[in-house]
Amino acid sequence: MKRALAVLLLLATGIAHAHKPSDSYLTLHADGQSLRGQWDIALRDLEFAIGLDGDGDGAITWGELKAKQAEIDAYALARLALRADGRPCRLEPTEHLVDEHTDGAYAVLRFAAQCEIAAYRAVEVEYSLFFDLDPTHRGLLRVEHGGSSTTGVLGPERPRLEVRAEGRSRLAQFLDYAREGVWHIWIGFDHILFLLSLLLPAVFVARGGEWQPAERFGETVWDVFRVATSFTIAHSITLSLAALSVVQLPSRLVESAIALSVVLAALNNLWPLVHGRRWLVAFGFGLIHGFGFASVLADLGLPQSALLLALVGFNLGVEGGQLAIIAIFLPFAFALRATWLYRRAIFLGGSAAIALVAMIWLIERAFDVRLGLI
Amino acid sequence: MTYNASSGERLTGPPLLPVGPATGGILEKLSADLRLRDNLLFYIACSVIRTITAGLLLALAFTEASAAPFLPKSDAVVLERLPTRPNDPTAVELRALRAALAAAPTDSDAAVALAERYFELAVAEGDPRYVGYAEAALRPWRSDDAPVDVLYLRGLLRQYRHDFEGALKDLELTLKQEPSHTGAHSWRAAIFMVRAEYAAAARECAALSGNASELRATGCIAYVEATTGKTREAFARLTGALERHPESDADTKLWILTRLAEMAWRMQDYEAADKLFRRALALGVDDNFLLAAYSDFLLERGRAKEVVAMLKAWTRSDTLLLRLAMAEKTLGLREADAHIQALGDRFAAASLRGERLHMGEEARFLLDLKGDARQALAVGLENWKEQREPRDALVVLEAAAAAQDAGAAAPVLRWLRDSGFESARLKQLADTLR
Repeated sequence: MKRALAVLLLLATGIAHAHKPSDSYLTLHADGQSLRGQWDIALRDLEFAIGLDGDGDGAITWGELKAKQAEIDAYALARLALRADGRPCRLEPTEHLVDEHTDGAYAVLRFAAQCEIAAYRAVEVEYSLFFDLDPTHRGLLRVEHGGSSTTGVLGPERPRLEVRAEGRSRLAQFLDYAREGVWHIWIGFDHILFLLSLLLPAVFVARGGEWQPAERFGETVWDVFRVATSFTIAHSITLSLAALSVVQLPSRLVESAIALSVVLAALNNLWPLVHGRRWLVAFGFGLIHGFGFASVLADLGLPQSALLLALVGFNLGVEGGQLAIIAIFLPFAFALRATWLYRRAIFLGGSAAIALVAMIWLIERAFDVRLGLI
Repeated sequence: MTYNASSGERLTGPPLLPVGPATGGILEKLSADLRLRDNLLFYIACSVIRTITAGLLLALAFTEASAAPFLPKSDAVVLERLPTRPNDPTAVELRALRAALAAAPTDSDAAVALAERYFELAVAEGDPRYVGYAEAALRPWRSDDAPVDVLYLRGLLRQYRHDFEGALKDLELTLKQEPSHTGAHSWRAAIFMVRAEYAAAARECAALSGNASELRATGCIAYVEATTGKTREAFARLTGALERHPESDADTKLWILTRLAEMAWRMQDYEAADKLFRRALALGVDDNFLLAAYSDFLLERGRAKEVVAMLKAWTRSDTLLLRLAMAEKTLGLREADAHIQALGDRFAAASLRGERLHMGEEARFLLDLKGDARQALAVGLENWKEQREPRDALVVLEAAAAAQDAGAAAPVLRWLRDSGFESARLKQLADTLR
């Protein structure tokens, strides 16, 4: 869907395709037992090599491409050799599609490799497409194996590449992403301060226009639970929207908005506009924090074959980090909730300090300056 | 929340595990709250469930997001328009040249003729695939003792792909066989100018003065002088030479008028610069450099509308699409977003291949269109290692100023001081940074 939209957008704005040197995109899925691949080859290059324009009108149609499909398969697959643990594999085409890259339309050839071997540990790729016609052609290789991927560029100087079939174990990957989630929370002082701003009043209830200590720890936990759940749901929504590229916000705007959310959450403790509905605040600002998470995930890169693993791992890591903060903070806060130390110094003083720090962040991020105060 | 007035018990909300009454004293409070552990465990359990659900939803979203190839709806759908039709004079000519080479594969003249034609197309269209085809034609002659025409063309092809070391070497070999080869001297001078090796460039220009036309020779040396602090004299000298040779070919005139326009611009004679740019355009030769230089001029002078009109049809070229997007962004036009996206994709495609030939453009893109000064500075400095033209210096200094990192701009500031390059804009930036 996204690709179709992108194409429509390109056509609507009339952007011509770019000029770039010749590349093909070769993706292999190697799981240690089966081996299959997808090869995107530019129509421009195929036209130069074997000729596709049947009626000579300067345009290549789907019909013309289909008519030449067998010839394309034979030509391309003859110039690609795959070996699993040294044993040559027979490549069989399975599907034919089309895709768009920055410089035009590509024929997409999906194939299965029959290697006559039950299990293998390494795959060797030997590539020689178009090198005789255009030595600037490159095969851009990506091998997906066990949830992670290895990339390489195949050229006339370096036509061979060997990749191990087994990647990291699923558990190791899961832990990798969980660790990233925890790490992101620990180093994300803005997220921590936002969380603290929402936690500080959790041990109170609003009664008679004033904060009163909560009667039961249970209601504190319930309050924190509602707030944290709204936050999680909200950031998952915006994380999805950012992932789908439905909404793309500039990072400066997002970072500034996150700083603003911390300021407002902290100020709300000092001048409560929202007391019983803090979960709404958490939801509203959770939407913004989601965009912040999206950029972290984009930097990490997500493996298409272990997506669920990675995302659940990352989320559990984030949750775990938050939980650690809550578990440390909440019992003590609850115990101290009626004391002057908590009510004045920690709650009011702390909220004011958080608001101040966040205000400095806001100025730094919004105006792209470095105040150097913290 | 509603509470029972007498017992203080909460009336709404799901019944949680009952909690004991609060008592005085901190430690007593903690230990008396026997359900503390149970409440926390409940909370942890709910957190895990909530998180897994969120993860599932996200995974669903992400699988939608991964771009997929598609099946066209019907046989008549046009997938790609080729650059030439089979009956085009260009296509016919290329077929003839290819046939001639196929008939005599060891004939270097036939190979050079074909490769030259491909190279001309590469320059005219800005299409690097043609350079690949040209290189393929010249492949049998890879050694250092190839015929002089092959060596020269190989140098040009290498320079197009920014292999400046290789290009200089091939052109040097050309000169060994033919010391008065004017093309080789001109191109070596041009490459030395890109690398800011001005003494070497001046030497090549001096070699031209005996052999090439007065205009070409003057153009060469004037360009070096204008870049090393003698802008006014160079301008006068070159203007005189141009007036004395109205018969020269369009390509030479184009190059000279573009250089003169840039000089006038730097001397802040904006009317003269505009006139010179227009004269160059009026020659009717499509030239990427001219359009890019004039666009930069118009953008600086606040004439973004004219840039949009001029570059609308040039989206194929990365350098021109960049300037078009910059103009559209300045004017707040809707098309800017799609163009910015396309540029990002193109730079990503280049880095995937491992060949980032347009890092100067990429730095400008990051600075002006993405607002990422730090990344722009990093890319700009990486670019500066290979390309040291004034344009490349400008983007580094502007990025350094925006990122407030004067230290990083040191190599460019050093160049500015050592070369004596005259530019009010660069000088202002340098003063801000020092």
